[in-house]
Amino acid sequence: MTTPAPEPADHGVPDRPGPAPSTPRATAIFAGLMVVGAVVMIIDASRLRDTSAAIGPNVVPMVVGVLLGVVGAGLLVQSRSALRPSSPPPSHDDPAAADRPAAEVPALDGPAGGWRGVLILVVTLLAFSVLLPVVGFVVSSTALFVVAALLLGAPRRWTVVAYGWALAALVFLVFDRLIGLSLPTGPWGF
Amino acid sequence: MDQLGLLLEGFAGALTPEHLLWAFIGVTIGTAVGVLPGIGPALTVALLLPITFRLEPASALIMFAGIYYGGMYGGSTTSILLNTPGESASMIAALEGNKMARAGRGAAALATAAIGSFVAGSIGTVALTFLAPVVADFAVSFGPPEYVALMAVAFVTVSALLGPNLLKGLASLLVGISIGLVGIDTQTGQPRLSFGVASLLDGIDVVIVVVALFALSEAFGHVLSGTGHSTVQPLRERAVLSRDDLRRSWPAWLRGTALGFPIGSLPAGGAEVPTFLSYSLERRLSKRRHEFGHGAIEGVAGPEAANNAAAAGVLVPLLTIGLPTSATAAVILTGFQSYGLQPGPQLFSESGPLVWTLIASLYVGNVMLLVLNLPLAKVWARLLTIPAYGIYAGVLVFAALGAFAAGGTTVDLVVLCAIGLLGLLMRQADIPVAPAVVGLILGPLAEQQLRRALTLSEGDPSILVSGPITIVLWIAVLMALLIPPLLPIARRRRAALAKGSREDSAEEEVGSR
Repeated sequence: MTTPAPEPADHGVPDRPGPAPSTPRATAIFAGLMVVGAVVMIIDASRLRDTSAAIGPNVVPMVVGVLLGVVGAGLLVQSRSALRPSSPPPSHDDPAAADRPAAEVPALDGPAGGWRGVLILVVTLLAFSVLLPVVGFVVSSTALFVVAALLLGAPRRWTVVAYGWALAALVFLVFDRLIGLSLPTGPWGF
Repeated sequence: MDQLGLLLEGFAGALTPEHLLWAFIGVTIGTAVGVLPGIGPALTVALLLPITFRLEPASALIMFAGIYYGGMYGGSTTSILLNTPGESASMIAALEGNKMARAGRGAAALATAAIGSFVAGSIGTVALTFLAPVVADFAVSFGPPEYVALMAVAFVTVSALLGPNLLKGLASLLVGISIGLVGIDTQTGQPRLSFGVASLLDGIDVVIVVVALFALSEAFGHVLSGTGHSTVQPLRERAVLSRDDLRRSWPAWLRGTALGFPIGSLPAGGAEVPTFLSYSLERRLSKRRHEFGHGAIEGVAGPEAANNAAAAGVLVPLLTIGLPTSATAAVILTGFQSYGLQPGPQLFSESGPLVWTLIASLYVGNVMLLVLNLPLAKVWARLLTIPAYGIYAGVLVFAALGAFAAGGTTVDLVVLCAIGLLGLLMRQADIPVAPAVVGLILGPLAEQQLRRALTLSEGDPSILVSGPITIVLWIAVLMALLIPPLLPIARRRRAALAKGSREDSAEEEVGSR
């Protein structure tokens, strides 16, 4: 609404990107995980005691485990044939970023973003779960919001903290007071 | 005519101030999350599942249904003005609708999408009213073998239809089923896949998995690649249809509905296939085929109607057989389960008033949605000006809230992050996440039915193909498995679409230089 219409130049990253250069490699990694998961499932299933029932607790995990292995192997083959023609560029570069005029590149926090950004976000989420009972929902959620927003390229302004605080307070009011899902409160009662 | 009496009683239930309020809250939230990219109805319903502890069943289910319908309306706004479909069923609307918006016809595109959604949603709900009891009556005779076969059909078709190819869909489905296996086996009390971790014994909460797969992986993905900027097409006029637009739209609405509802109500569904079919049908029938790809209004009207009619259709197998064929339907099924209700033929006989109130509220919700979406289109469009970092950081706050509500221990958060990373990998690998949600929720039910069936036959597996219905269903499974590799129509269509949107962005890049 605020941008003029005839400049649809800056397309942004679509929600579900089409086959990106990283796809075959990610598929291969995922397929590898499936095969590992298949082994784990089959071992876990074989450990279960069989019962007198017609079909014990181990039958379905066994079948699912085997299927995991088969489909994983199939995906490995598929991704291998996709990988062979040309080796893809590193997965974590946004191919469109290079084409974008410098001014419109989101102000990513230096080298953050990329896999490091994801790692920071995971650590933040775990820290959130530790801090939640101590400092209460509103404070810890605000912190989570601010860290995530900065990782996603928010401008470094106090307004981001204000947005986070407002959202956290609103969620607290709706879920704690209205719906009655009692959220942890810090020493200050929210 | 029995249905009409029951439906009238349903209306009496749905038109109470309290239920009207919940319907209104539902459709409003639904439209909002449909508009916001990255948040869909499945995620929203999952986040609101804790509400079931507080509300009576009818209120909560009316709200969930409102979110489900509202998400469909809102999704078209996003795809028309932003060209990033909020959910995959709106992909087609993004093709033609966004072109219309760029040509300054955004208001007409929004109007045809909203009215088309209303027409299709209403016809679909009428069809649901009359079809559901019939199917429920028929399904009373189903035993465990029929359910096993039906679920197999749903598994295979959901995998085949919701992804780029069958293998990737199956991979996603199996991941979901595997996650669903974690925890104590209810029949023998033995822990499965828990590895001695106490909080895994209860299984992994549906909310955690849905939040991780939909919200967390999305946020991770945007951190990984940067969010970029998106251009929202401005909306200048009010959303109205000119006489000419209306003349071109209404046949497309009806054709879209005629495709959407029957396909949606198959126990194989998903709303994607009918939208694709409707698009190609409109293109073939149109006298102005050259306009397609450049903003043809029929290309918005038909698929949007098909989308909404299919959404109503999906409720048929959900309510009458307990078979969810989309991620949102699967999460709504969990909502039923948290009240101790199991959708299926018994639901109509045992909780008749509840079901009919729910169905009546769908009519009410549709009217509310039309009112909400036509005059207020500009207000919803404003939601799109929220910067991406705000949306995804907000989604994370809700994700953390959902994880807390589902257990709240650090182990839950670790599981959340692990599945979130898995979801990120799936996104990178172009593996759809929706089949995983269906597998997660349907998997345990399928195992239960399989065990029942084989207990009945004392271990003889031939019971699974014992009746005519089961044989037909298993043939359908085989066909769904064998036809895609031989006749990849859907894939080719998808590829053509992907190519279309890629050309799109190429054009834009050229334009920017």
